[in-house]
Amino acid sequence: MLSTLHPPRSLSSRFPRYISSLPVTLCTLTAQSPPSQILSIRHALLSRHVTATQLAESYLSRLRLTEPHLRSFLHLSDAVSQQASRIDELIAGNEQVGPLAGVLVAVKDNICTADMPSTGGSRVLEGYRPPFDATAVRKIKELGGIVVGKTNLDEFGMGSTTEGSAFQVTANPWDVSRVPGGSSGGSAAAVSARQCVVSLGSDTGGSVRQPASFCGVVGLKPTYGRVSRYGLMAYASSLDVIGCFGSSIADTGILLHAISGHDRLDATSSKREVPDFASQFASTDFLESKPLKGLRVGLIRETLDDGVDSGVISAIRGAALHLEDLGCSVSEISLPSFSLGLPAYYILAASESSSNLSRYDGVRYGNQVTAGELTSLYGDSRSKGFGPEVKRRILTGTYALSAGYYDAYYKRAQQVRTIIRKSFKAALDENDILISPAAPSAAYKIGEKKDDPLAMYAGDIMTVNVNLAGLPALVLPCGFVEGGVAGLPVGLQMIGAAFDEEKLLKVGHIFEQTLQNCRFVPPLIEDDSAW
Amino acid sequence: MMGSRAVCSRIGLWYRKGSSFGSSKVVIVGNNNKNELRRCSTTTARSSPGPPDVVRLAETARISLTPTEVEEFAPKIGQVIDWFGQLQDVDLDSIEPAIRADTEGNNLRDDIPETFENRGAMIAAVPSYEEPYIRVPKVLNKE
Repeated sequence: MLSTLHPPRSLSSRFPRYISSLPVTLCTLTAQSPPSQILSIRHALLSRHVTATQLAESYLSRLRLTEPHLRSFLHLSDAVSQQASRIDELIAGNEQVGPLAGVLVAVKDNICTADMPSTGGSRVLEGYRPPFDATAVRKIKELGGIVVGKTNLDEFGMGSTTEGSAFQVTANPWDVSRVPGGSSGGSAAAVSARQCVVSLGSDTGGSVRQPASFCGVVGLKPTYGRVSRYGLMAYASSLDVIGCFGSSIADTGILLHAISGHDRLDATSSKREVPDFASQFASTDFLESKPLKGLRVGLIRETLDDGVDSGVISAIRGAALHLEDLGCSVSEISLPSFSLGLPAYYILAASESSSNLSRYDGVRYGNQVTAGELTSLYGDSRSKGFGPEVKRRILTGTYALSAGYYDAYYKRAQQVRTIIRKSFKAALDENDILISPAAPSAAYKIGEKKDDPLAMYAGDIMTVNVNLAGLPALVLPCGFVEGGVAGLPVGLQMIGAAFDEEKLLKVGHIFEQTLQNCRFVPPLIEDDSAW
Repeated sequence: MMGSRAVCSRIGLWYRKGSSFGSSKVVIVGNNNKNELRRCSTTTARSSPGPPDVVRLAETARISLTPTEVEEFAPKIGQVIDWFGQLQDVDLDSIEPAIRADTEGNNLRDDIPETFENRGAMIAAVPSYEEPYIRVPKVLNKE
């Protein structure tokens, strides 16, 4: 059914294994996959080629087939067909439908949805039904989007694999023995396996970007303040943002536009105007030969050191060559104090989380353990409800914020944040965008890092500094490394100046549309005729 | 336990010795009759408050830990806190702490109360409700 939406593909159906000595090259521009699933869906619905009901059923049947292998979802909506029918009625009656009409969207389970449970991946909120929709969810619904379900995550966003979920471990669609990344692993896997069109995640230290890299999809972390955090269960309030996943830059940009904007219910949300992120995704058929001529790109030297997989370095260097082919001037730059960001981040995140998670006391919502006395009620409810990583981070944060220790830890981390902000600003004064890997490796095996917290934290080195500085960043698949059945995807991270998502999307879109011989569709669904 | 505490004199700064990091910065609790809590800071580059007392932290954070959990968590938490210690070596004098990344001004809304439109759902989520009270067990004074 979906195959009627796409022009026939001229690319080979078997995508190549990435060999580190052969960078992905720019080929002649030929007919290729449409830049936007969302725009294709809209076209197909409005021209009556397909109904929203048929479309929804097509996604749902793929979801049902793949879910036992992936476990991306914690809850599935039982209202999808009903909402799709409603859209069909509107279209049949020639009424206006929003730009996301009929688009299936998955939402990370730490983002509140009133009509479905929202657990944050935690037993402490098992069965909890919020009394409101997060602003980002409300906006998606207002534009006609259909929330298909809530995706799995590391508990309260704390983790990089989804192994920290209290309920299940999500598998990577490229190799189900590997992690999808985290903490937004479910949202990344769902888009990667085409169980939905786009999804929402959250990014506090890389939780959208790293899973995007591991799952071969596009992930966007907006500028802090671009998207309202109202309804996002707070982990670290000075770092958290809601982010977007899509199988293309265009879809990610359209979703970002849908959810961005000032919200009076979030005092940290920006009043800045939101540019129309969606308007630039034109076809690339008539691109000039050097469409990014004059763009200055800085490759962050500290992200290509020892400890980074050689296959990842190759993929990033290949991406840099591709950018040069498109007309960019790429130079290596150095960011002072880059490595300090990681301990600073964990101090801030642990400290803020110890405060934010104190609300889960079993009194006003969430699961309660009966006790004869109030302190035990708190202690036992929290003990039973929280998983070990969450407990450890709360305790670590409690330590860092203990009387007299503020100067040693929290304040110093805040000072490091100032250094990092300044160093990014200086680099972005000289460069339009900065690039780096999103993670030091491709997806690793489930269970590999579970018992070593510091080893897991170390993997966040590429991403945390961006959260400390509050900048926007986009990750898009740029190549492969060996592993799994057909290679494991590697993502390129592009970092922009504050509120400059438009530039990131423009560069990303052109990069993606000119990257030939590289289809990022996991083997799990390769047989599906739609892809 | 956190090791011996120093007694604060009214004028001077005191250091706790014996921590794994060498010279340290300290929480100082006054032992005078007024039981004043004084916080003093030093300008030494390397300072550490000593190893974490997981039992005490758990009390502060209101999480009831089993003895097994205390035993398992202490080294992992200690390891992470040691790792945090690398920030002590950095010269951060005269650097302003950044609360968060944004630089936008006052974004507060008017201080006017509004009634939440879905109070029913909020109340439905309360584990133990006896109209109009949210019910909790008694508070036991430990002192």
